[in-house]
Amino acid sequence: MIREDLHKVAAVAGVGHTDWVGDHLRVRAGEKPQDSYGYGAIAFKAALADAGIDRSDIDGLIVGPTTAYERVAEVLGLDVRWGGEADAMLGVIQACMAIKSGMAEVVALVYGNDQRSAAVNYGGANAQGGGAFLAYVYHAPWGFTSQGALYAMMFRRYMELSGLTEAELGEVAVAQRLASSRNPNALMRKRITVEDYLSSPYICEPLHLFDYCLINDGGVALIVAEASRARKMSKTPVMIHGVARSDLNRGATSLEPRLVDFYRSAQQRAAEQVFGMAGIEPDDVSSLQIYDSFSCHIPLALEGYGYCKPGEVGRFMREHGISLAKGLPINTSGGHLSESYMQGWNHQIEAVRQVRGEGGDRQVPDCRFVHYSSDVAGKAVSIMYGR
Amino acid sequence: MATSQRVMTHFDKPMWASIERGRLELQACLDCGQFRYPPGPACPHCLSMQAEWRAVSGRATILSWVVFHKTYFDDHPAPYNAIAVRLEEGPIVVTTLAGEPPRGSWIGKEVEFCYELHAGRMQHKARLRHVGPLQAGAAA
Repeated sequence: MIREDLHKVAAVAGVGHTDWVGDHLRVRAGEKPQDSYGYGAIAFKAALADAGIDRSDIDGLIVGPTTAYERVAEVLGLDVRWGGEADAMLGVIQACMAIKSGMAEVVALVYGNDQRSAAVNYGGANAQGGGAFLAYVYHAPWGFTSQGALYAMMFRRYMELSGLTEAELGEVAVAQRLASSRNPNALMRKRITVEDYLSSPYICEPLHLFDYCLINDGGVALIVAEASRARKMSKTPVMIHGVARSDLNRGATSLEPRLVDFYRSAQQRAAEQVFGMAGIEPDDVSSLQIYDSFSCHIPLALEGYGYCKPGEVGRFMREHGISLAKGLPINTSGGHLSESYMQGWNHQIEAVRQVRGEGGDRQVPDCRFVHYSSDVAGKAVSIMYGR
Repeated sequence: MATSQRVMTHFDKPMWASIERGRLELQACLDCGQFRYPPGPACPHCLSMQAEWRAVSGRATILSWVVFHKTYFDDHPAPYNAIAVRLEEGPIVVTTLAGEPPRGSWIGKEVEFCYELHAGRMQHKARLRHVGPLQAGAAA
């Protein structure tokens, strides 16, 4: 059954982010511009200004998993009536739920992460996240570590079963670099070719260096408000037309849902719900923002959400196209691979900017609906943004 | 960098003790018979809390493989491989392929577990089972 209760209940009224490029240069020069709370505070102030509201209008707060909820509220001087901690995509969904149920009307979502300057490891002896996701640390005795390796293992099998080639996967990194070359906020702006991709070193074969996300410091914030209030705040409120989630955690440590299913059944259930709630179809989508800790998320999402037939995504990416130059543009900011690794948060604000028409040189023409999708740690999540 | 470490919860200890003895044992559910991996308190299939430790045959099929070109641990200098195999008993286990790797795709290749000292502990690896025409004939 498709629940439509969250259809256009809430809208994004403001977005903000830190100076990823400037901070990255400073961090690489040995400085520490902020801690996670400081990056969050900068982004929060920018989002308030973008929404044209005062801090006193905020009555709900969601913070990213890299900071403590209570401490963020203290740092920002916020006494709200509802709040909690969530990742980017679940944060947006929870804000919609809180607004629908009357627990809050104007929710600030605040994320800050000093992962680069704090030298956070996503592989090796101190791999981040192992407490919640046993797969990140369980196979270390055999040297099998890093989230990239989990996706490499999954995608090697997909490549062998589908015939998708490394050159076809390279289309993702190439398309996202084209996007980031037009984005002044992106860390990596030099365009690359499929040949550059193929000659880049492997990290965990079959994945190359260009298949991996960046690691940098920064923050992102959004103001999600009840739809009628959002219209009063913003000339260009971006409506949340649909949300969906479907989890696959059985057998997660032994990689069962990745290796047997490629998370596809969860994506198909999420697709049914998000398109049903939004009342649209894949053909209506102008751009797709996909959580890209690794490039191989993109082909699997394109198939899982029905943008092309199973087994055909290699050809789809090569012939139909997934870039600003041709076809269905994905990750139009450059995403995690080339813009900034904000763990899904930068995808949300890119979706908002595209729907508003504020994409500048990277604007998707007549952008009506932007579909956000992720499949992080067993959770297939979708959000449909639109006018 | 540091040496790779085992996750050693209450339920992992008997499994690693069996690996030290040179034969992997996993919990088999006493109600539905399913093997589980990693070890844990309940059967994810039927929620039974009753299980016994049983040795697995060590025969398995490769589901996928990767080759690391970056070194993450002192005891695993790159390049090295990791494989995901489905045990005859059902669970998927990650291990190392020892010996000469297959030419072309590794997927579907049959392997057999072996046990070797690594960084001061015993752990399992897998070797290709060469099921050639001669052996097939001999088995028949």
